[in-house]
Amino acid sequence: MPSILTFPFPAPHQSSVIPKTRAYQRRPENLPAGRRHAAASPGPPPPHLPPSPPHSRSAPVHRRVSLQSAPATTLAPGPATSSILSIRESLLSGERTAADITSEYLSRLRRTEPSLRSFIHVADAAAEREAVELDRRIASGEKDAVGPLSGVLVGVKDNLCTANMPSTGGSRILDGYRPAYDATAVRRLREAGAIVVGKTNLDEFGMGSTTEGSAFQVTTNPWDDSCVPGGSSGGSASAVSARQCVVSLGSDTGGSVRQPASFCGVVGLKPTYGRVSRFGLMAYASSLDVVGCFGSSVFDTATILSVVAGHDKRDSTSSSQVVPDYASELVSLDLLESKPLTGVRIGIIQETLGEGVANGVISSIKGAASHLEQLGSVVEEVSLPSFSLGLPAYYILASSEASSNLSRYDGIRYGRQVSADDLNDLYGESRANGLGHEVKMRILMGTYALSAGYYDAYYKRAQQVRTLVNESFKDALERYDILISPAAPSAAYKIGEKINDPLAMYAGDIMTVNVNLAGLPALVVPCGFVEGGPAGLPVGLQMIGSQFSEAQRVENPLNNFCHFIQGNLLRVGHIFEQTLQNLSFVPPLLAES
Amino acid sequence: MLSAAAAAAFVIPRLRCATRPRLRRPSARTYWPRPLSSSSNHVTPAAAAGAGPGELEPPDLTRLANAARITLSPQESQDFEPKIRQVVDWFGQLQAVDLESIVPSLRAGTTADSSLREDKPETFDNRDAIVEAIPSYDDSYIKVPRVLNKE
Repeated sequence: MPSILTFPFPAPHQSSVIPKTRAYQRRPENLPAGRRHAAASPGPPPPHLPPSPPHSRSAPVHRRVSLQSAPATTLAPGPATSSILSIRESLLSGERTAADITSEYLSRLRRTEPSLRSFIHVADAAAEREAVELDRRIASGEKDAVGPLSGVLVGVKDNLCTANMPSTGGSRILDGYRPAYDATAVRRLREAGAIVVGKTNLDEFGMGSTTEGSAFQVTTNPWDDSCVPGGSSGGSASAVSARQCVVSLGSDTGGSVRQPASFCGVVGLKPTYGRVSRFGLMAYASSLDVVGCFGSSVFDTATILSVVAGHDKRDSTSSSQVVPDYASELVSLDLLESKPLTGVRIGIIQETLGEGVANGVISSIKGAASHLEQLGSVVEEVSLPSFSLGLPAYYILASSEASSNLSRYDGIRYGRQVSADDLNDLYGESRANGLGHEVKMRILMGTYALSAGYYDAYYKRAQQVRTLVNESFKDALERYDILISPAAPSAAYKIGEKINDPLAMYAGDIMTVNVNLAGLPALVVPCGFVEGGPAGLPVGLQMIGSQFSEAQRVENPLNNFCHFIQGNLLRVGHIFEQTLQNLSFVPPLLAES
Repeated sequence: MLSAAAAAAFVIPRLRCATRPRLRRPSARTYWPRPLSSSSNHVTPAAAAGAGPGELEPPDLTRLANAARITLSPQESQDFEPKIRQVVDWFGQLQAVDLESIVPSLRAGTTADSSLREDKPETFDNRDAIVEAIPSYDDSYIKVPRVLNKE
C-alpha cells in the first residue's frame, strides 16, 4: 500500500446526509479473487420478498466482482454487478488502493478517448491526487475515511457547474468559464467521497440528441464508432459504457439521459422532477430539466440517486420528500423467490410499438415484456390518448423556456465577449459568435412562440396539452404500477445521418418527452440488441413510474395500496436486470487490451 | 416573406380558432413529422385543419433575431428560414386540437410541497471567482459600451 504523502490536498467532507445501512458497513470475511458469486451472510432466503424496512435487513445485497479481472472476464454473459460495492470492499479490505483503482480507470480512459471523445475536460492529475490522499487517510486508520462513494470515479456532464474545472455547457460562449461554485448534485457526490474525473461532452446546452451539437467534438458510440452515442448526455453515457468512469451525471429535459442510455447499453435514470436539485445545472427548460445519472448496473444508479437527491434551499422546485436509501431494497439474486414480480401490473404503451419504430426494437421490448411476465407480473397493452401531441407541445415549451433561460449568455458577466461600439451590437455579436446553430434555432422558435399575439396559439396550448398528458399518465398509472416502452424508435444511428433534418431528429424523442411533461421518473435498462456494429447495437427498455416511485412509498403505512410496495421502479429494474440471461452489455472495444 | 408594410406595422393576428367548429382529433399518424425532403408533398397540419394563410403570421426572422439579440448573417438567415418555418408549421397542428376548458399546466405538479426559503441575504464566499469571470471589469464596474437608442 503506497504511503507516499504528496502535497496536501483537501479531503472531501464526509457528510451524514447518506443514511448508513448495513450494506455499506459490511466487511466480508474473505473477498473472492475471481469472478464468484459470494453471499456474504449465509441463511435461507426469506419466505416472502422484501420490502422489509432497511434497518432490519440482514441479508447481503449484491454479488461482487474483483475489479482486477473486470474488463476481460465480464465479457462472459451474466448479470451486471455493482462496481461501487466492489470498489468499497476492495478499499475496506485493503485488497486494492484508491490510487491503483484510479490508475486502472485512467489508463482505460486514455486508451479509449482518442476514438470515443467522451470528455471535454479530463482532470486526471486532480483525480490521482485525491486517490493518493484517500489512501493516506485509510492507511492512517482515520475513522470514516471511506465514505459511501470513496474512490468512485464519476464523470459530470459539462452543463453542471464544477468549481475547479471549466464548465462550458458544450458551448463556445462559455469557453474557458470556471464557475464559482459546484452544482448541488456535484457537491453532494464529492462530500460522499467521489472523485470527479472530468466533464463529459454534450449537445450544446442540452439541445440535441447526438452530441453533434457540441461546439467542441462529436462523441462516438462505444459499440460502433461510426454511430452516435445519443444525446444530449452522450459523453456521460459513452464514458460509463466504456468503463472510463464508474458512474456519471447527466441531465434529462426531453430524454437526454434515457436515449443515450439505450444507445450505449447502460442504465440511465431520470428521477421525478424535483427529486434532485437543479442548482448549478445550466438551465435549458426549467419546468422540464432534471439531473439524472448513468451506471453500469441499477444498483450503482440507485446508490448515486441516494447521494444527490433531496431538498435544496437554493432550488425552490426541489422536493422535501424524504430520500430513502434506494439501493437497500435491491437484493441479491439468490434471495429472490421464483416469481419476484408477482402482483406487479405492467402496461406496454401501445403507441410506442407501431409505425416508425424499428422492428429490432419492437422485438427487444416484446422480449423484455415476456421476461417480465415470467417473473410473475401481469403485462398488458395500454393506450395513452394524447401521446403523439406531446412531441410538438414539448418542443414549443422547451424552445420558449430556452429562449428566456439563454438570454443570460450576453457576453457581459461571463463567457466570451465580442467587442462592439454599442451595447445591442455587443449582445448580438457575442451571441452570434458564441451560440451554435441548433441553439440559435430554438431560441428563435421560442421567441416566436412567446411573442405577443402568439402566446395563446402556441405556449398556452402546449401547456394545455401538458395537462392532457399528465392526466392520461395518471389514469394509466392508477391501473398499472409501471408503464414500459422503448427509449427510442431505433438503436444508435450513423453520425451525420440526421444532422440536416431537424424534424427527423425531433421525431426520435417521441418515446421520452411525455415523461418530462408529466415530471415522472423513468429508468432505462439494457434489454437486447439489434444488428449493427461489430457486436450488435444495444436497445434499452424504458420503465415509467408514478411520481416518486423510484422507491417504495413509506409515508402512509396504513395505506392499503400494496402494489406501490411491489412495483417501484428501481426494484423492478434491478430484478429485470439481474435475471436477464446470456446477455452482456460490455462493449467489444474493452476486450482489446 | 412578409411584405414590408406588414413587418413594419406588426399586426396582431386575430385567431379564429375559437369560433371554428370543433374538429375530430386526428389519428396519431397524421402528426408523425415528415423529413424535410418530402415537404413539398406534405400538407401542413395547419392547412389541413382549415387555417387560412392570414391566421398566424409566419416567423419574421429579422424581427425575431432582433428580439433575441442575436445578429444573423445573411447566410444564416437563408439557412434558418425554411427550417424554422417547417418546425413552426409542425407546431401548428396544436391548433386543430380541441382544448376547450382544459386548464394549462405551468409545470409537472410534482413539487406542490415546495416552500420558499427565508428572504435573508447570505454572503457568498467565492466572490473573487465571479469577478474573475467578467470579461471587461474595472473595479468595481462592469464595463459595457454605450447604449444607443435606435428606431
